[in-house]
Amino acid sequence: MDVPCRPGTAVAAAAVIGATIALALRGIARTPAPAAEQADAPFLGPKVRGWYVGTLAPIQARLAAWEVHPDALTWTQLGVSVLAGAAFAGGAMFLAGWLTILAGTLDIFDGALARARGTASPRGAFLDSVVDRWAELATFAGMGAFYRDSWLLGAVALAASGSLMVSYARARAEGLGLTLLQGNVQRPERYVLLGFGAWISGLVEHVRCVAGARHPILGAAVCLLAVLSVWTAVRRARLALRALDRRAGP
Amino acid sequence: MRPAGFLLLMLGFGLRLDTTWQGTADGLLVCGAALAIVGLLRDRRRAFVRDDGRG
Repeated sequence: MDVPCRPGTAVAAAAVIGATIALALRGIARTPAPAAEQADAPFLGPKVRGWYVGTLAPIQARLAAWEVHPDALTWTQLGVSVLAGAAFAGGAMFLAGWLTILAGTLDIFDGALARARGTASPRGAFLDSVVDRWAELATFAGMGAFYRDSWLLGAVALAASGSLMVSYARARAEGLGLTLLQGNVQRPERYVLLGFGAWISGLVEHVRCVAGARHPILGAAVCLLAVLSVWTAVRRARLALRALDRRAGP
Repeated sequence: MRPAGFLLLMLGFGLRLDTTWQGTADGLLVCGAALAIVGLLRDRRRAFVRDDGRG
């Protein structure tokens, strides 16, 4: 998309985001702390997750009152992720960041709504897991299209592979009867890293106003995500192997 | 109301920054700002209501 630089709008958007983060930090500080932190806990700990779920609770209650089916949110999440991928491919980074955050929020809503309406089922859980993977791939595919002429394409491929392997390790371990909830970088962390990375990158490029922006800040976020996702996938695999060794005995 | 306002504001900023849909973006920014301000004012008013049953 060929649009002119809008530094004034970018500064206004940055001010709104800054004010929102300040309010969010106040809310997070008021959220009760969990009893004990586990090893390999997600970077966005239970306090942050609890605050976000609490903030969105009125919207979730409204959706439940309207009898919205959780599957509808799952499919909407896929549609939003495809749009996010298209926005990444077209270089519309701020929009792509917003769509990524929205997809992540819908990802939280569908499961929570199913539980609230008492319609949680293995079928819904399976559909949610499968659609989540396609949604992630759609977003990464768009990002790959944007970086197709850059070495960052490799980082996008690594981040996509790492993200899929984090989820696969857990699914396979659960198939073998293990519970594997550990991992520093899970889906919420991925959404936040990519969403905020795209937001900040989009704002900075509008202020810098350089023709043919390659968005190095988003590139750095993708590299960080690639490293952290692979690390988390390897950690999960090691934890699963250790648990299986213990189960097998000496 | 605040989260909805924030989402609308960010969508408005996104359309304004990355597309040529300036009219739609302005409409979303106005709606988002109104929702966010009403949400913030409501929360502020609630902060002055005593919740111990005596007030």
